[in-house]
Amino acid sequence: MIEFRQVTKRYDSDHTALRQVNFSLARGEMAFLTGHSGAGKSTLLKLIMVMERPSAGEVVVGGQVLNTLPRRQIPYIRRHIGVVFQNHQLLFDRTVFDNVAMPLEVMGVPTRDIGRRVRAALDKVGLLSKEKMNPLQLSGGEQQRVGIARAVVNKPPVLLADEPTGNLDPELSADIMHLFSQFSQVGVTVLIASHDIALINDMQRRTLTLDHGQLIAGGGHGR
Amino acid sequence: MAAEPRKRKGANQSRSPLQQQAESYLVHHRKVARDSAERLWRTPIASMMTWAVMGVALALPVALLLLLTSLQGVSAGWESSARITAYLKESVTLESANALRAEAEADSRVLEVELIDKQQALAEFRSSSGLEDALDYLEGNPLPHTLLVTPDEASRTPGGVEALVMRLEGMTGVDRVQVDLGWLQRLNAMTDLLARAVWALALLLAAAVVLVIGNTVRLAIENRRDEILVAKMVGGTDAFVRRPFLYTGAWFGLGGGVVAWLLLQISLWWLSGPVERLAGLYRSDFSLNGLTFDGALALLIVAMLLGWLGAWVAVKRHLDAIEPGEIAGG
Repeated sequence: MIEFRQVTKRYDSDHTALRQVNFSLARGEMAFLTGHSGAGKSTLLKLIMVMERPSAGEVVVGGQVLNTLPRRQIPYIRRHIGVVFQNHQLLFDRTVFDNVAMPLEVMGVPTRDIGRRVRAALDKVGLLSKEKMNPLQLSGGEQQRVGIARAVVNKPPVLLADEPTGNLDPELSADIMHLFSQFSQVGVTVLIASHDIALINDMQRRTLTLDHGQLIAGGGHGR
Repeated sequence: MAAEPRKRKGANQSRSPLQQQAESYLVHHRKVARDSAERLWRTPIASMMTWAVMGVALALPVALLLLLTSLQGVSAGWESSARITAYLKESVTLESANALRAEAEADSRVLEVELIDKQQALAEFRSSSGLEDALDYLEGNPLPHTLLVTPDEASRTPGGVEALVMRLEGMTGVDRVQVDLGWLQRLNAMTDLLARAVWALALLLAAAVVLVIGNTVRLAIENRRDEILVAKMVGGTDAFVRRPFLYTGAWFGLGGGVVAWLLLQISLWWLSGPVERLAGLYRSDFSLNGLTFDGALALLIVAMLLGWLGAWVAVKRHLDAIEPGEIAGG
């Protein structure tokens, strides 16, 4: 589903964020991405989202080589990738429902289908009763779950998470991780960037470790 | 009867995906249009101020254009009623004058000839000049017989009138032929100049409107930065992200157009009294024309287009620069 072939990303002349990274994730695989801060985790995720382009090598998502993708096509790739951020990027000028509905509106899903699919996603994260609230009224863990509902509402084949449990206590973090593994069980490829070593060890999943832009563990292909 | 709704449902299900796409596209347009209008209502003072600025900037050139068309109406009215005055020689008797009248009228280019004889002319002059007493000291009647020649419609061109003047000058007994179009030409030259000035002003003010809207929309873009980032992140196309701002621009334009129309109506009402009095003093049927329905509609459409254009400039400059890369941090 996701494949990096000898990917190098260089910013400016001397700052190299990723060096010849090589790995692939299969459909339905769940993996962690870890490393010290500045090791290149965010850069790697941005390359998958086509927020950045690699300086060398190829990034392939769902069989599509992203390097040569025209700018116009980028939105259509992003519709197949759900993203969860540490600061969850919710909009506070609208309800939980409207936040979760955004990816569907962007895709031009008919209004009558939007309600059904948003409620299904909110039900999945256990927030169905709070659809009419403003995200500001929710706790940190609930806000993060709204972010997850938004990321999965259009059933993307790929789910990326950047420090999704950064601000949460261990119990809530475990809940969130449990949600992610459920998605991988139904065929979603999940990649979670985190430096919460204890949590990663608990999950017993494949772990990609970056060090100064180099993949030092967990590389290679498939499970 | 009962089969009817079921049938409709069946048709519903068999709708093609393309049709569904088109439908949800239209639904989305409606929603965005309504949403951006509501946003303007939510900040009434700020919106009002933008509308007022636009209104003034639009009303000024439109008012001048209206004045211009009114002036052109005046000159056109006079041009169509252009008459040629032929003064006959003093020696011409009333009978010969009548014969000359008939001769002139026989010309195919002439619609009508009116003879004003000496006595009539003197009486008219006496009553309109206020020189009654002075005229009494005159021994005879110094005024000649006069023919007032109205050209027919086909000859009411500068060339046609010219030819007719030549013909009349050639007639024996005609002393002098006069066409008083000099002031009309001056007025025409002045309106031509004014027209250019008005168009130049209109162009400048239109550019100002575009810039004002552009700046206002730029602020709106800054205010909704987070929303734009999220929309781009979840796969919103550039068109999707731009749409609300383009509608915002169009609504600003519409509001500005309405304000401009109101300003025009108010100033017209305010000016109509004095203008009538002035026109009355000049014995003219000149009147300031207001905007017709078509004109008002054109004003609103142009205003909306300018607003849209302003928004488009801002969107092009500022929106495309917002990329979700900055969300993710280092």
